[in-house]
Amino acid sequence: MKPALRFSLVHARHLFSACALALGLPSMVLATESPPAEVHLDYAYYSPVSLVLKHFGYLEKALPQTKVSWVLSQGSNRSLEYLNSGGVDFASSASLAAVLSRANGSPIKSVYVYSRAEWTALVVRKDSPYQTVADLKGKKIAATKGTDPYLFTLRSLQQAGLKKDDVELVHLQHPDGRTALEKGDVDAWAGLDPHMAASEVQAGSRLLYRNPAFNSYGVVSVTEKYAQEHPQAIDTVLAAYEQARTWSVEHPQELAKLLADESGLPLEVAKLQLSRTDLGSPQLTAKDVLASKAAAPILVSEELVRRGVNVDQVIDQLLDTGRQQAVARQ
Amino acid sequence: MPHALLDIHVARKTFATTTVLNDIHLQLQPRETVSLLGPSGCGKSTLLRIVAGLEKDFEGQLLSHTEQLAFVFQEARLMPWLTVQQNIGFSNDDHYDRAWVAQLIEEVGLSGFADALPKALSGGMAQRVAIARGLYSRPRVLLLDEPFSAVDAFTRMKLQDLLLQLAERHAIALLLVTHDVDEALYLSDRVLVMDNRPSRIRQELAVQLPHPRDRRDPLLARLKALALTELHRAHVI
Amino acid sequence: MSSNSKDLSNPHLALSPADRTTLFDSDRWRLRLKGLALPVLIIVFLEIIVRIGWLPAYQMPAPSEIALTLGDLAEGALWKHISASLLRVLLGFAIGASLALVFAAWVGLSREAEAYLEPTFAGLRSIPSLAWVPLLLLWLGIDETSKVVLIAIGAFFPVYLNGVAAIRNIDRKLVEVGHMYGFSRRRLVRRILLPAALPGLFTGLRSGMSLAWMFLVAAELIAATRGLGYLLSDGRETSRPDIVLAAIIVLAVLGKLSDGLLAGLEKRFLAWRDTFNGTED
Repeated sequence: MKPALRFSLVHARHLFSACALALGLPSMVLATESPPAEVHLDYAYYSPVSLVLKHFGYLEKALPQTKVSWVLSQGSNRSLEYLNSGGVDFASSASLAAVLSRANGSPIKSVYVYSRAEWTALVVRKDSPYQTVADLKGKKIAATKGTDPYLFTLRSLQQAGLKKDDVELVHLQHPDGRTALEKGDVDAWAGLDPHMAASEVQAGSRLLYRNPAFNSYGVVSVTEKYAQEHPQAIDTVLAAYEQARTWSVEHPQELAKLLADESGLPLEVAKLQLSRTDLGSPQLTAKDVLASKAAAPILVSEELVRRGVNVDQVIDQLLDTGRQQAVARQ
Repeated sequence: MPHALLDIHVARKTFATTTVLNDIHLQLQPRETVSLLGPSGCGKSTLLRIVAGLEKDFEGQLLSHTEQLAFVFQEARLMPWLTVQQNIGFSNDDHYDRAWVAQLIEEVGLSGFADALPKALSGGMAQRVAIARGLYSRPRVLLLDEPFSAVDAFTRMKLQDLLLQLAERHAIALLLVTHDVDEALYLSDRVLVMDNRPSRIRQELAVQLPHPRDRRDPLLARLKALALTELHRAHVI
Repeated sequence: MSSNSKDLSNPHLALSPADRTTLFDSDRWRLRLKGLALPVLIIVFLEIIVRIGWLPAYQMPAPSEIALTLGDLAEGALWKHISASLLRVLLGFAIGASLALVFAAWVGLSREAEAYLEPTFAGLRSIPSLAWVPLLLLWLGIDETSKVVLIAIGAFFPVYLNGVAAIRNIDRKLVEVGHMYGFSRRRLVRRILLPAALPGLFTGLRSGMSLAWMFLVAAELIAATRGLGYLLSDGRETSRPDIVLAAIIVLAVLGKLSDGLLAGLEKRFLAWRDTFNGTED
């Protein structure tokens, strides 16, 4: 198709939607949406509900005519990359990571909270001499850039009066970071469950510094474009997520077993991870917005976002608190 | 008879199963010019290489030999990364005798080209450099393997005259391999006509004309007829 | 009345020296302009289509934005990353290329050595770069050692291959001249084999250099704390495609500069070559 033609078609569609909204006929727009031909989601060991959703096929049952495909994500950084490149329609990431992504220009919206967990901490080997975060000055810390553990590390360092240049941050994906710690290649590791729990249980690693307040909650995000074009699909997916979440809350033992099976880790590890995971409140609320805004300054102070970006505004645009009704409806 | 500069007897030379040379007796007197005339592949180049010491595997003996030899190949074989003067003085690395090289450059008619690279030289000029290179070590014998076969007829004649001048001036004996009958007769004191494989010396023609020779000399024509007859008899032509 | 440079060989002799220099200058500038035409066109085109919105800015930032990012980086950490990468590349290349030259000379000159060594090298050569990474990380850790070794491996094979080929391609006729003079093995290598193999060796060195840069990025993408590859992954993980492109641009510039250095050396040492240079039209 000639670029000029495609260009004007895209604009025509946007014009149509804009008119429809302006005329206050959202139901008419909804009614014309048919189930999508394909929907791509990610699943991750740091999102136990996603594993349940994939395992029981709730979404496949809710959308029988749709091809549902799943991609394993090794971390928030990967999830958001897939989202931005169109590899997935729904991405599971830490909320602060999503804020960073949006602040750097990715047009995404978070629509659901899949968990609130204390899933990250600074981990050291069991025989390590370090006692406080300040001890890590000048040392090597393995941390996956663009994920919550990375941001946790920065916030912890800041609290101890250090900047990211005061330490050597080695970029390794979560499982590789664990290996590096246990092998002795790095002095500390910004851990993420379940790998963190596994390291504690299997290698006896110690959590040098924990701080639940420095953990951000986990969100499912979509692109803005997807939110405009497939609002009903989003509702359907979230309804399926709710089904999975409800099952998870009601069957904690089976959930632990499922997590252990999927991740290939021992049951003890899965239980440890779930003990610090709260699956109770999936809605994004004003409280969450405030929490994110409180956490955001680290992004600016460590120059992770471009200069002149208004992070508060970014958070307002990112977090879709209007989904409350959709979620509560189920 | 003065002591021969070179006296070689090759009883037999084989390459794998093919006998290339068979019972060859070759002598070279000082200041003499001898040509080996014969078809391609008859082993004349091999004989020359044996004399030069490049070919050591043969049945026979070197009754008299000198170390003061130089070889001029069919192609100039100049080192392309060296200038003309560096090529001439090649055997002495960087500390070649500059004055001697300069003189040789003059003698071969390449004045002004001392610092030229081989890529800037024509075929004839390159061969002049090769000859100068051969002369650098002040040899007593110059061995030449079809040295002018790669240049045009006119250049060839000029180079032949040059060769004769140089041989005269520096008192050098020449042992020349060629398939050009005119060249052999014009240059040599003796022409040895060689057979096909396995090769031997079929005929020896003495050319008793003083230098400088006239290419139009009827004696040369008569000798040429003799040579051609012999070559015909040997089924070479 | 424009004449191409072939015609200049006659008329230019009639010109005064002053005229001659201006003619050469304008030729050189014209050549440079021709080289710049394509990149400038691409940059302008990209700028326009991103600003209009045909390409989304979060996937392909406008060139002007990338320029701004480069400016920001230049004020800050860029030099730290550049020096870290340059050090690794140069060290790795030096080690890999020197080893390769030694082995190439050995295998090229000796049939025995070839019989023993060549099959092993042929096997190792076919291992793709990324396949080495996990192995080296496992054996040598995530520090500088594994990175420099990876780069050395990358530089080794092109230099080795081209070196062997260069030696084996040497005209036997030239070597015979050395034999005739009774050159010892060492003298033969020094006076004939090495200079004759130089063109092939340079090709290998330039190829090895570009592979060294490639392996550098591979090494830095996996586990690094500084460097241009690190910068590249930084941009990737934090949704900053402008940083990604800025890092790529810097890598391209540095790669071109290092290649240009080798090309300049090549030109200087190989001015004696009598080869085809392309046609004017």
